[in-house]
Amino acid sequence: MAEKYQLHRMVHELIKSSDEPGLRMTAKYLEGVLRVADEGEPIVYHGFTSYTDIMVAMDLQTICLEGWDMIGVRVDPDHAIKSIDAGHEAGIPPELCSFDKAIIGSILREILPPPSMIVPSLMPYQNSVIGYQAVGHLTGAPLYTPDIPYYMDDEGAMDYWVRQYKGVISFLEEHSGRKMDYDRLKEVVEESNRYVEYWLEAVELQKLKPAPWSGAISIGTQAGIMAFGTPEGTAAVKGVLDQIKDRVAKGETAVPEEKVRVIWFQLPVFWDTTLMNWMATELGAVTPFVLFDDYRVEPVDTSSPEKMIMGMAKRAVETPMGRVGRSDYDLVIEDVFYALDEFSGDCVIFASHPSCKWMSNAFGLMSDVLRKRGIPALMYDVDLMDRRVTSAEESRTCPSTSSPSTPTARGVRTIREGTCEETRVCCRRTRRWPGD
Amino acid sequence: MSNGLFRQSTLNKGGSSEWPYWRSLAATLSNPYIERWKEKGGAVVGYYCTYVPVEIIHAAGMLPYRMRATGSTSSELGDVYAWYSTCTFCRHSLDQAMRGEYKFLDGLVALYSCDHVRRLYDTWKAGKVELPHSPYYLHFLSMPFKVEAEVEEWLASQFAGFRRSLEEHFQVAITDDALRRSIEVYNEKRKLLRALYELRKQKAPPITGTEVVEILIASTAMPVEEFNQMLKTVLEELRGRDGSAAHTTRILLGGGELEDPEYVRLIEDLGGLVVADFLCYGVRDFWDLVDEGAEPMPALAKRYVQRVSCPRMFNHSRRQEFLMALAKEFDVDGIIIQRMRYCDAWGGESAMMHWDTRKESTPIPYMVLEREYLMGAVGQMRTRVQAFLETVRG
Ligand code: SF4
Ligand code: SF4
Repeated sequence: MAEKYQLHRMVHELIKSSDEPGLRMTAKYLEGVLRVADEGEPIVYHGFTSYTDIMVAMDLQTICLEGWDMIGVRVDPDHAIKSIDAGHEAGIPPELCSFDKAIIGSILREILPPPSMIVPSLMPYQNSVIGYQAVGHLTGAPLYTPDIPYYMDDEGAMDYWVRQYKGVISFLEEHSGRKMDYDRLKEVVEESNRYVEYWLEAVELQKLKPAPWSGAISIGTQAGIMAFGTPEGTAAVKGVLDQIKDRVAKGETAVPEEKVRVIWFQLPVFWDTTLMNWMATELGAVTPFVLFDDYRVEPVDTSSPEKMIMGMAKRAVETPMGRVGRSDYDLVIEDVFYALDEFSGDCVIFASHPSCKWMSNAFGLMSDVLRKRGIPALMYDVDLMDRRVTSAEESRTCPSTSSPSTPTARGVRTIREGTCEETRVCCRRTRRWPGD
Repeated sequence: MSNGLFRQSTLNKGGSSEWPYWRSLAATLSNPYIERWKEKGGAVVGYYCTYVPVEIIHAAGMLPYRMRATGSTSSELGDVYAWYSTCTFCRHSLDQAMRGEYKFLDGLVALYSCDHVRRLYDTWKAGKVELPHSPYYLHFLSMPFKVEAEVEEWLASQFAGFRRSLEEHFQVAITDDALRRSIEVYNEKRKLLRALYELRKQKAPPITGTEVVEILIASTAMPVEEFNQMLKTVLEELRGRDGSAAHTTRILLGGGELEDPEYVRLIEDLGGLVVADFLCYGVRDFWDLVDEGAEPMPALAKRYVQRVSCPRMFNHSRRQEFLMALAKEFDVDGIIIQRMRYCDAWGGESAMMHWDTRKESTPIPYMVLEREYLMGAVGQMRTRVQAFLETVRG
């Protein structure tokens, strides 16, 4: 057993003595996963839009499937590629989301500890619906997917959703043999309320102009997918908040001269960790908003189990990306404008992960509204997990040529190849699918 | 029977009676049935997927019409709003919509079939499509993603909302009695289609897969009562007729959207015979009946949750069991799953089906045929199908 999960063991070794709260949280998480995997105790797989609070309260070890590969790829950029290729070899088509392909490939490569239960991503994107079916199929573990209504304001939708959400608890109780202790859940939810409080405060500071920080403050969000409701998760977010507060207090900003504020409407490019930094330093293009950080929720009322479950259920549909993709395109547009308005954005970058079809499949609508408001935007293909689709070098060509700091544009128009000289929307297509 | 919609069939060369000219119904978006319906003042409501309860549209006195992009030759306009990773069916259908080709429709219903269809619907909703009148009826159903009894109540409430919205928009009443009648007539259609499929179990089936697909497509673009009558005639004619001996390899054809019978013809021209399917237009649409003895709305919800599912539902193992049972019942030699490029649902499902099919004690040869909406690269496809058929024949 000890030789399995080498990469993650190595990460653990590297960070286990760190004092930095985010790394301490990750180390604690990896330690838990590896111990439980070695000892053959139950593990719950979950998706990155289903936070860990319920499982933490039941003392169940979790693995966020997308998160597992996010950790891997930050240490070894080829980690995901190997798994993605294993997925392709097994017949999974290239156009499926790289997260899902990597997960499937990691299971096939046996580099993921096997699960006892699965709670898929709480968002019904086609890719995750199909990806998690494959995960269930390959591992043979029981799976419960709470069903999310498309429109939360439909009659009876919230009641239905709360019943579905409660089903997660019943499912875990049934398959783990553990009972939910609601006093313990209360402690966990109170912990997660603190997390949310710190989180919102940190995000609020990103609205300052100039921004104190450029890029995803998402180590905290990664806490959501690894340690939501644990003291380590809260400490990680508090660490981020303290750092940003400190910068604000000292009058430090992301770059000396903030020329442009970018709304990054996608998750970060996980293998290209310096991209946003490069944008800031080379172009003066600071990114105060990253979709991965967009978690706008209220504290959960813990005065009774019923109220607590209701609050948790409401919160559960608002996780980053889970919120914006679960309904119609109006919501996508609304959230883009929320970000532009609240974070004083000058332009939007849609790093159109080629399989992120919930976002890209109606890009024309986005172009129309952005054009009306005169907002420059860049839509370009970059795969968040697979560096073969668009290389780091190519990424750095595109934003610089269409940077609103050098506007050449008359408006927004989607074009098919290359950067567009006469518009402020650039749509860059590599059309290079891994496996093609 | 002399309404001009009937013609001699290729299969019926020696027969004496008339044969419905299914091919023409499948070959155009609109057809004389729809034109006649509209002339009489009837409303036509389009729907994008087999999870839409056509019975409710029918009970409102309207004609349900399954959306196709038949006749489209380019997706240029559609591409302005869609993305290159949108499946080409949706891109062509959007193109048709933007060109005003669906003007005969009085409304549209969709659901989250996939990320492609839902964004296609959003583009309609955003007013990018040429609509014949305003306000236009648009409705989106919140269809659950799992096949469990616990979601039926929610779906019944969604169906109730759909029923109310039709009533309000079109100022009609949808009574329970009307619903019962619609359930009966659609159940009859489903039973007749199953009877048609029974004939395909014969050693030499009296009908080709191409023709069956034409019939299936036509069935979604005409009044169901007339379809049922026509299908009864067809069944009478087919019973007892000898089939073609020219085809040697029995194929089960599965996958998502397939509205161009030419793809089936390609397989059959190479000596395969499609004797069973697992298609949107095929068994997944008609295999399961609605319980006529139960209250209509809960019965409809139950049927649409529990029916043979599509990959959009968390239910792969039951689909696989069903696929294998079909393959056995229809004594197939090989399985071809056709899938549109960029179709995530069928991309994953076809891989899982492959994994499972290989695990069978006597694995049935299996192939995934990737394709686009328009039939291009025919040579390449022929080569692949031919090679597959040769493998099957051994
Ligand atoms: S495959 Fe199923 S879900 Fe997809 S469009 Fe066809 S009927 Fe609808
Ligand atoms: S073929 Fe696939 S992607 Fe296209 S509409 Fe059907 S389910 Fe959606």
